[in-house]
Amino acid sequence: MNNIWGSMEQYDPVVWNWIIAVYLFMAGLSAGSMLVAIGLKWYKQSRGLPTEGLPVIKAAAVIGPVAICLGMALLVLDLTKPFEFYHILLNYNLTSVMAWGVIALLIYIPLVFVFAALVFEKQVLHYAPWLAGVLKVCRQVENTLNKLIFALGLGVGVYTGFLLSAMISYPILNTAVLPALFLASAMSVGSAGNILVATLFFSKKESDCIEQVHRIEYPVAFNEALCLVLLFVGLNFSGPAAQAATAAITTGTWASVFWIGVVGLGLVVPVLASTLAPKAWRHSKGFLITVSCSTILGVLALRHFVVYAGQSYIS
Amino acid sequence: MTKRYVLVHDENKCIGCQACNVACRSENNVPESVTRIQVRIEGPYGNFPHLHFKYNRVSCEQCENAPCVKVCPTGAAYVNDDGIVSINEKKCVGCLYCVAACPYKVRFINPETRVPDKCDFCKETRLARGEEPACVTVCPTQALVFGDANDMSSEVRKVLDTKPHYQQKVNLGTEPRVYRIPSRKGGIKA
Ligand code: SF4
Ligand code: SF4
Repeated sequence: MNNIWGSMEQYDPVVWNWIIAVYLFMAGLSAGSMLVAIGLKWYKQSRGLPTEGLPVIKAAAVIGPVAICLGMALLVLDLTKPFEFYHILLNYNLTSVMAWGVIALLIYIPLVFVFAALVFEKQVLHYAPWLAGVLKVCRQVENTLNKLIFALGLGVGVYTGFLLSAMISYPILNTAVLPALFLASAMSVGSAGNILVATLFFSKKESDCIEQVHRIEYPVAFNEALCLVLLFVGLNFSGPAAQAATAAITTGTWASVFWIGVVGLGLVVPVLASTLAPKAWRHSKGFLITVSCSTILGVLALRHFVVYAGQSYIS
Repeated sequence: MTKRYVLVHDENKCIGCQACNVACRSENNVPESVTRIQVRIEGPYGNFPHLHFKYNRVSCEQCENAPCVKVCPTGAAYVNDDGIVSINEKKCVGCLYCVAACPYKVRFINPETRVPDKCDFCKETRLARGEEPACVTVCPTQALVFGDANDMSSEVRKVLDTKPHYQQKVNLGTEPRVYRIPSRKGGIKA
């Protein structure tokens, strides 16, 4: 439109785009897969069961580092000054959630590489025998390391939510539920990712650990659904601007993304599949792959929905 | 902070002529495709035949409690000693967090510097020389009053002490330093 006051283009409320949505997804995937794998390891250890060579843990050792690195690459390329990104590593404004995220990631990223190196110790030593000494030291502190990675994984999962909720004028984003929602969905995409990679590359037989990952899927899906309900019910009671934002799930493209992607693919399909599917199917490769892909797409849709619909409604 | 620069926009006097917008552009070399101030003509409001328009100045509000400053990871967005919310181009990485966090949507990426840009009350040019911001100087109806609100004898102080005024989106707690005198026909609406 031609206004006498000039172009309105720069006033588009959607500032962060799909690149950020994919980054948030990748960070959630990485953190979630580490949380699930380490959780599973502890569960097994507490029962005195062996944890070496579990397909799901191997899968996490691949997903953890790869997903976070791809996500970081996207994030840096999306900066308007990508070649000056090092400033973010030198200056920290501690009132900024992003600065806290940088600190967490700065420790988290090397540690997931150590985790992966310990899981694939044989292969690493085959190609890089000089790392033997370092790996030995890491192995000795493995338990502490895992606790640290677990804590940082929680931090990374939650921070991606706080990153958006700090933007005070967007009612869908500026809620305390968002970090919880992001953490819950990070856990579900993490376990789905682990199952997918494990079935595709690491599992030789029907593996019982897949069963255990499934077991955490229910509470996680329940929490995710609860957070979504809380988010929108909360909006309904938070004044006119927030109430107007509930239109995000009733009208427009993002409403379809929400119902088909987030609710359908992300919640309904996986829950129905694991409750109604005949026993014989449940461990077949095709079934596991389909269901985990559905969850992954659902979480990807959730990140896009939150980023776009969240920014489209401003109070 | 000894100074507290504020701006008052009198919506009764404003005629929406955009002289401020044009003056700002030439004073601050704002590229063609972007803007630091707009005066949007909104409406009509009221019942026919008593219709009126609202002149809404859109520019950085110099928030006292600025969300853009709070979220900036590197501290590139900062508050200067005079209270003017400023940008350190060297520290900025261009993450757009401040652009997204500004509730007034007045930050934009300058296509030439690749760094966020916005109104800074002409602090490096006109203010440094002891002059008023370009928009204030050029306004044909004197709808804009600028000055140090900590100075009890300043004109801006007098206006704020005597005329009813409002700020936009006060519920967000940003404490804007741009005050508006509501149109007599329009009433106060933030
Ligand atoms: S109006 Fe926006 S850019 Fe200006 S100080 Fe407030 S938050 Fe920052
Ligand atoms: S774009 Fe620059 S000024 Fe804005 S928050 Fe990011 S680093 Fe800070």
